Amino acid sequence: MRFLMTNMGGGKEPDEQLFADMAAFVEELTKEGVLLATGGLGPASRLSSGDDGRITVTDGPFAEAKESVVGFALIDVRSRAEALELSERFVRIVGGGVTYMSEVFGPE
Amino acid sequence: MAGDAHAAIDAVWKRESARIVAGLTRMVRDVGLAEELAQDALVAALEQWPRDGVPGNPGAWLMTTAKRRAVDGMRRGERLERNHERLAHALRTAEETGPEADDDVLRLMFVSCHPVLSREARAALTLKLLGGLTTEEIARAFLTPEATVAQRILRAKRTLARERIPFEMPEAGERAERLRSVLDVVYLVFNEGYTATAGDDLIRADLCREALRLGRMLAALVPGEAEVHGLVALMELTASRAAARTGPSGEPVPLHEQNRGRWDLLLIRRGFTALLTARSLGAPPGPYVLQAAIAAVHAGARGADDTDWARIVALYERLERVLPTPVVRLNHAVSVARVAGPETALALTDTLDLGDYHLLPAVRADLLSRLGRHPEAAAEFTRAAALTRNAPERALLLRRAEASAAAVPSFAAAVESFLAGLDAPAARSYGRTLRRLARDLGDPPLTEVTPALAAAAFTAAWHGAAPRTWNRHHSALRTFSRTAPTGDLTAALPRRKVPPGHPEPLDRGTVEALLSLATAAPRERALWRIVYESAAPAAVALSLNVEDLDLAADRAVIAGGRELRWYPATTDLLRSLVGSRTSGPLFLAERRPAPARGATGLCPRTGRGRLSYERAELLFKRHTGHTLHRLREARRLHLGF
Repeated sequence: MRFLMTNMGGGKEPDEQLFADMAAFVEELTKEGVLLATGGLGPASRLSSGDDGRITVTDGPFAEAKESVVGFALIDVRSRAEALELSERFVRIVGGGVTYMSEVFGPE
Repeated sequence: MAGDAHAAIDAVWKRESARIVAGLTRMVRDVGLAEELAQDALVAALEQWPRDGVPGNPGAWLMTTAKRRAVDGMRRGERLERNHERLAHALRTAEETGPEADDDVLRLMFVSCHPVLSREARAALTLKLLGGLTTEEIARAFLTPEATVAQRILRAKRTLARERIPFEMPEAGERAERLRSVLDVVYLVFNEGYTATAGDDLIRADLCREALRLGRMLAALVPGEAEVHGLVALMELTASRAAARTGPSGEPVPLHEQNRGRWDLLLIRRGFTALLTARSLGAPPGPYVLQAAIAAVHAGARGADDTDWARIVALYERLERVLPTPVVRLNHAVSVARVAGPETALALTDTLDLGDYHLLPAVRADLLSRLGRHPEAAAEFTRAAALTRNAPERALLLRRAEASAAAVPSFAAAVESFLAGLDAPAARSYGRTLRRLARDLGDPPLTEVTPALAAAAFTAAWHGAAPRTWNRHHSALRTFSRTAPTGDLTAALPRRKVPPGHPEPLDRGTVEALLSLATAAPRERALWRIVYESAAPAAVALSLNVEDLDLAADRAVIAGGRELRWYPATTDLLRSLVGSRTSGPLFLAERRPAPARGATGLCPRTGRGRLSYERAELLFKRHTGHTLHRLREARRLHLGF
């Protein structure tokens, strides 16, 4: 099963410890073959929205977009429980904030 | 909720068990005991976590608990037979984590894949110790009774203890072989999941996932081994096709018919990355790297027709050298079919023996059906269906067997079966006619060819041919079609009248025999060869003079500029015939003429006259029973004018 974990930020101010812990976490998951892809995201810079066939494009920055995704991880796990466990460990490392976890349906 | 807690514990356990068991094994030097201790800790977790919640670092909690329980157990004398003090000391003082942890997991892999164990035992023990699967899960994945798997694992642990297999990295001398064993076990698990050998699900995704995880883990543990990355690449690339390889009702879809839009690009990219890593290590490619390279060619092609089959054939040839198994040779044959056609590929499978492996008859059936040899294809499809243990695959094979049994052979296929029943010269001669017609007709099903259709194709092909040639093709088509379900296809085709004056030509076999007739003198053979090869009338050949010859160019030019050409073998004969003569008749009579006859045109060296037509004809008849005229006609016919 694949899950996409999206992190909205809002954790504690990153320090050296956090970077070290996160690097170790990523390394562990990579070694285990769990982490398929991961990355950080820049601020949203363009908004495309469609309404009844009309497409509107708005350039950023978007001041109101506090809850934007700052990072993601695509993981390949055996069960929902394993994904949950990993997302909890992630939140513990970043010291709070908001992280969503969604199952990815797709080719498998 | 207890259910959620159990699921959480199970998830933690599967993630942590390899490290915990490996760490404990390093301390107690016994895989069986280490696993018991780890299981004790799991039992404790099942008691405490639902009540107190999952601890912050569950892996460390399990490890600490396992060690504490071990020490407690020894104090209570539960494990009397062990060396308490040493163990207790080891458990109390050992580091929990650290740089050793990775090496421990690797050591555990080497132990659980040790060659003293059977292949099944290696796979089961690896899934148990490194994948954290329960005995029940392993039994379900391999469709084996749980008791059997439990026995297998128990016996494996006992064997490891009895043989005193050390918990160490293999020594340099045996490292390659031991690593190969680990890779083979991982690939076995993957294949068991991917090509489920039995049961109703074509893919048991959980086994594939375990194998992929083990492989990726191994690649991180021994990053310098090209074959490990090769195996990972092979599994990633193969797994990328998982979604596309089954149809809506679970039936298998062959690679060349798969919807490539359903291939998993993420896994393909990971596969390519692993393959590049393997190649960058520079070692000569081993079996896994080569198989991954083949999978990569498929992954890089937009469709079956865009596939670089020549490259795949070349890779299979290299693979056959390092891994000369019948399965590899079978796959090689499949790729050869793409490059050189089904007939060549079929010949490659003739000598293969794969026992009860269903893919050999399945491949042969496919090749036969592409050759239009439907009855044989039906038999092979049926045989393959009887051999496979996989239900959707069996259904597909049976469907194809039925279709083949009902199929009408193509015109070309019917021609081939007809020719196969003839002797070689007849098959050659009829083959020229019938294969040409098959090509010109566009190889339709046999029953769609009507006399009118055949007449049109026939006339288009040979309307300009000499009457004899026309009639020969006519006979071939009539002989073939009289016994075919089409009925006589020459019904709408008249034979042609042969104009008088053209005697019946000799057939090719006769000509070939007489041109090399050992009992004939060189002079006779040279004459016959010139008549046949230049298609000149015998009288013209007899009129040749030595000075007309241009032996360097295998020809002669006679008065009036007419040129006669022959083959180099004839020139060799002529050289010995001419000897040192520089002029006079080429073909000399046996005797000198009586001086009274006052003959002219004698040979200046021998004084002999020219060989006469009558004499030449007589000699030819005596040797062969035929006339020279028929020899010349044969050449005209064989050249097609």
